[in-house]
Amino acid sequence: MSTLDDLVTEFARLPGVGRKTAQRLAHHLVQQPGERLARLAQALVQVAERVRPCTVCGNLAEADRCPICLDPRRDAGLVCVVEEPAAVASLERAGEFRGTYHVLGGRLDPLSGVGPEALRLEQLVARVRAGGVREVILATNPSMEGEVTATYVQQLLAGQDIRVSRLARGLPMGGDLEYVDGVTLAHALSARQELR
Amino acid sequence: MPLISTQAIILSTLRYGETSKIVRLATREHGVQSAIAKGASRPRSRFGAALQALSGGQAHLLLSERRDLHTLTGFDITTLPVRLASEVSRYATATALAELMLRVAPPDPHPEAFDTFEAALALLEEAPPPALPALTLRCVWALVGALGFAPVLEVCARDGRPIDAAGTLPFSTAEGGALCRLCAQTHEVTDLPAESYQALAALLDATAALPALDARHASAHRRLLSRYIRHHLAEGATLTALEFWQQPAWSVG
Repeated sequence: MSTLDDLVTEFARLPGVGRKTAQRLAHHLVQQPGERLARLAQALVQVAERVRPCTVCGNLAEADRCPICLDPRRDAGLVCVVEEPAAVASLERAGEFRGTYHVLGGRLDPLSGVGPEALRLEQLVARVRAGGVREVILATNPSMEGEVTATYVQQLLAGQDIRVSRLARGLPMGGDLEYVDGVTLAHALSARQELR
Repeated sequence: MPLISTQAIILSTLRYGETSKIVRLATREHGVQSAIAKGASRPRSRFGAALQALSGGQAHLLLSERRDLHTLTGFDITTLPVRLASEVSRYATATALAELMLRVAPPDPHPEAFDTFEAALALLEEAPPPALPALTLRCVWALVGALGFAPVLEVCARDGRPIDAAGTLPFSTAEGGALCRLCAQTHEVTDLPAESYQALAALLDATAALPALDARHASAHRRLLSRYIRHHLAEGATLTALEFWQQPAWSVG
């Protein structure tokens, strides 16, 4: 049945979904009432039509600019650089950050063929050069690729009269030293802070 | 399923499902292997931060006899070369080396390639910045040699005649090294000036002093080495990390 096979193939393209899971999802859907499938289809079409990158920060938006960039209460002088829009959602959930974001759209990953030209780096430099930015916070993931991306962005911004900072790395709240891996412990030790 | 424990370096990781990762490892005793690390992306995974590309340690693998994907039950990390990420050229070289291991090193024991790779990562992490242009080249040539593809410079790669080291050196990527004047007439060669020939010889000799290479010469050597690798080792495949290393679009400025 080619229609169902097509659906399975599309599901199997999604990250983390294998052929078996794709089949399970497809068979689950065909058993649902027609109006429910129509709502799902409509939601997919609307996402495809309406959601696009914010022209300022690259976050997901339904207009030229995302709600964060449009919000006058956000501090536009603080720019937090992240790899993907999902990181914006995570930082927003934390509720502490009142600045704005810049989504790179990935990270340097030569083994996967991702170089600087694939990232929204020129837009970041243009934002900083346009003035008004006091600090860029590098919030790329604490992986080798995230670290080298942070290094690269730091080098790009080296000539600008701004502060460039990196998210701290260390022990998770609610953690237990006994179960923390050596790499995280070493980072936590080297980035220890004086108690004042 | 036999359980083995072996010295290993993580070459790459790929998310698999919600919480697992597929890991490619260079192991000292079993060559390059693939393994699934179940639950590696869980917040309290036993793997912690260990499964980072280029980290080294003791891998514990349940070997599958029926398929090529084994199970990684643990990874006791001993080295995480974070300083490689402090400079893009160090990292670019390290990933080019990892790519060579992924593409060329066999799934059989190859301790020489493993040791060369491991030593190169350590050198790249520690090297002072002025040494990097030559050192990065030496590291890649060393791994090419360890994998069995070292170029011949002392004698003609085609007929074994002695090479006249005076003047320019005809170098043939396809033939795998220097050619004598006679063979050079009938084969495509790159004429290496004496200075470049000496630099290449020094780069291939781990005991020699590192040659001083300015940006232009380092770039020319990178092009030559990349061409050599593409011809002998890539078998038509695109080597993205090697491209990244060879064409430093990453250089800022």
